[in-house]
Amino acid sequence: MFDFDATLPMMAIQFLLLTAVLNVVFFKPLSKVLNERQEYVNGNNTEARERQDKAKRLAQEYADKLSSSRRQSQTILSEAQEAAQKQAAAQVADAQRRLQEQTMSVQQVLEQEKQAAFGQLEKEVGALSQQILKKLLGSELAH
Amino acid sequence: MHHGSLLLNSFELHSWLPVAKLEVGHHLYWQLGNLKVHGQVFITSWIVIGLLLIASLAATRSVQRIPSGIQNLMEYALEFVRDLTKNQIGEKEYRPWVPFVGTLFLFIFVSNWSGALVPWKLLELPEGELAAPTNDINTTVALALLVSLAYFYAGFKKKGLGYFAKYVQPTPVLLPIAILEDFTKPLSLSFRLFGNILADELVVGVLVLLVPLFVPLPVMLLGLFTSAIQALVFATLAAAYIHEALEGHGEEEHEAH
Repeated sequence: MFDFDATLPMMAIQFLLLTAVLNVVFFKPLSKVLNERQEYVNGNNTEARERQDKAKRLAQEYADKLSSSRRQSQTILSEAQEAAQKQAAAQVADAQRRLQEQTMSVQQVLEQEKQAAFGQLEKEVGALSQQILKKLLGSELAH
Repeated sequence: MHHGSLLLNSFELHSWLPVAKLEVGHHLYWQLGNLKVHGQVFITSWIVIGLLLIASLAATRSVQRIPSGIQNLMEYALEFVRDLTKNQIGEKEYRPWVPFVGTLFLFIFVSNWSGALVPWKLLELPEGELAAPTNDINTTVALALLVSLAYFYAGFKKKGLGYFAKYVQPTPVLLPIAILEDFTKPLSLSFRLFGNILADELVVGVLVLLVPLFVPLPVMLLGLFTSAIQALVFATLAAAYIHEALEGHGEEEHEAH
């Protein structure tokens, strides 16, 4: 069981050779691959993070723009509404004023015609009463 | 060395199943000059190394940013050993040690699981039998000594001869214990791994001998678990020892900043 012989040093040398060969064909190339992959992953990661940051910034910007333009449109809308209301009020007032004027002028005309009609009626009333008087008392008073 | 085999060779009498043969202490010896090596250990270790290399090459043949299949698997393995090393050695200094600790983990893990999953015993060898490379004491001691060398190297590279200061800090009374530690560390590392893997293979082998069907399955599953844990423990301890050698005793740390 315990017979030592030249197997020992030869196995040692063989193992050292195996280490050297595996270092060249196994450890170095695969370590390189692993490191490169690590770098690739890290690079992609940072790039993705940058892109995410940029996307977030853009989204924020758009949101800002959106809210500001919404505010703007709100003000424009309210201004327009105000202007329209003012215009409407003015037009209504104008129309009322014109209506009043017309009403007044029409009333005046009516008043004048009434006066004229009353004057004429009074005249006719005088003549008619003269005639009635003449008819009733004509004969006696006719002379 | 052969008492184990003597004890266990009696089981070979009923070895009507080729998978159920048990041999400990038999080796397929190869003669290199005047050196003897255990051939079966090298055969399986080459298969393990081949597996690791094929998987690595397949994973890095055409790397994709979005991994799939084998690349995904090997990236998982790499991240696992990298995290293990980082947890032990610390964010600042773990990088150069990832290949060493990672190779330790992968080699031991694949070796252990190959021992637990591949029915090596179906392959006939003239002598000895194929098994996980980590069930040979030579392999585990080799790995443990490399860990010792690694942490000495780490300590000397960081602090030069000032590394020895840690032997007499906080008090010189602990010097013998500090020195003893340098011997117990590789010893415990190697024997823990060797013992666990060998014991697991023996238990499975004995159970397969006694009850060939189904009954050994839970033990085999337990073996898979143990194998994975042992690989993890070995790599974690190696990284922890390196960290211990690297960490200063306060003042050097502050100078470095």
